[in-house]
Amino acid sequence: MDRHLLPEEIDLLLDGEVGFGTPPLKAHVRSCVTCSRELESARVLVRTLEHLPHIAPSPLFAGRVMSRVQLFVPWHVALLDTVRGLIPQSRPLRVAAGALFATMAIALTALSVWAFTRIDAVLFTADLVVDRARSAAFGALGGALSALLGDAARPLLTGGALGLAAAALLLVVTGAAAATMLRAAAVRARER
Amino acid sequence: MALALDLRNLPDADVAALAKEGREPAFRELVRRYERPVFSLIFRMVRDRETAEDLAQDTFIKVLNNIDRYRSEFKLSSWLFKIANNVTIDHLRRRQLATVSLDGSPHAQTVAEAQATSLDVESRGESALEAMESRELGSAIERAIGQLRPEYRSCILLRHVEGRSYEEIAATLDLPLGTVKTYIHRARHELREALGDLRE
Repeated sequence: MDRHLLPEEIDLLLDGEVGFGTPPLKAHVRSCVTCSRELESARVLVRTLEHLPHIAPSPLFAGRVMSRVQLFVPWHVALLDTVRGLIPQSRPLRVAAGALFATMAIALTALSVWAFTRIDAVLFTADLVVDRARSAAFGALGGALSALLGDAARPLLTGGALGLAAAALLLVVTGAAAATMLRAAAVRARER
Repeated sequence: MALALDLRNLPDADVAALAKEGREPAFRELVRRYERPVFSLIFRMVRDRETAEDLAQDTFIKVLNNIDRYRSEFKLSSWLFKIANNVTIDHLRRRQLATVSLDGSPHAQTVAEAQATSLDVESRGESALEAMESRELGSAIERAIGQLRPEYRSCILLRHVEGRSYEEIAATLDLPLGTVKTYIHRARHELREALGDLRE
């Protein structure tokens, strides 16, 4: 090679390229003081750049970023996390919890099988429980209406299930209206 | 705490996947991993700590709030640097800082084109503020980097400070590979000249 290296050729050597006819370039650098000095100067620059340190932001940087990041946990991830949170950390406790869970599962299965074999008795008991619960609920509702409306509640109470349903609806509507009015008043007070 | 310790050993793509699930420790880990490289790149581009903090913050907020759009076949760091570079270049354009080319468009093919797009100035000396920022950056090389055009600066910093390949830089900055090579070549040349001037 009877000329000095071009800047692009210096770059090729600098980037450690192979092929592209680099062997003649390397041979030239070995024999030419000017090009050798040029390449060395470029290498010094690259080494200096490569040793530039990373600069740290302020210690509060991460906190400031996180305060503006919208974190949205999908429901299935939240559920999984909750379940994981319930699992004990230590191994003996995990084994104990597993044993307890297995025992409960076996007991519930046995109970279900037993209930299925005596389905008539189960249905009868369930009917009895529902009937008593309904009587208790109607009694409580009637008591509440009598306390609230006095004698005016008598037609509703004597109107059977339909009357009680109407009374319950009236109670719910009245309660909702009162809550709405209270909320509106609170909003107005806050605005002031 | 156990999750945070485990995250340190996970590759970026896995941490990003956990961040997509809304897990806060994964977000924190991504910030921890990249706050220094991203902040360094931006600081060396804008040369002002407060502005760099704001821009780096914007970068991370954009990335983390859009983490569900991240596709794992690409490098997370490339995406992060791409957004950092875009945010910074937008800022520099908005503020019209003293980073306007003095020597004509970098795309100029001929001397005439370069002259037509160049600015006429008396001196390239630093203002007092710039001098102070340069002292903070610490060395002649930092000052010389500060004198480069922004597009040269991001290329040379990604190449030699972050150790990215030409192809990665081209993908990160949305530039043709040849342009990246040209920018880096010119940046090296300008840096050597600047440092040579300082030594003389």
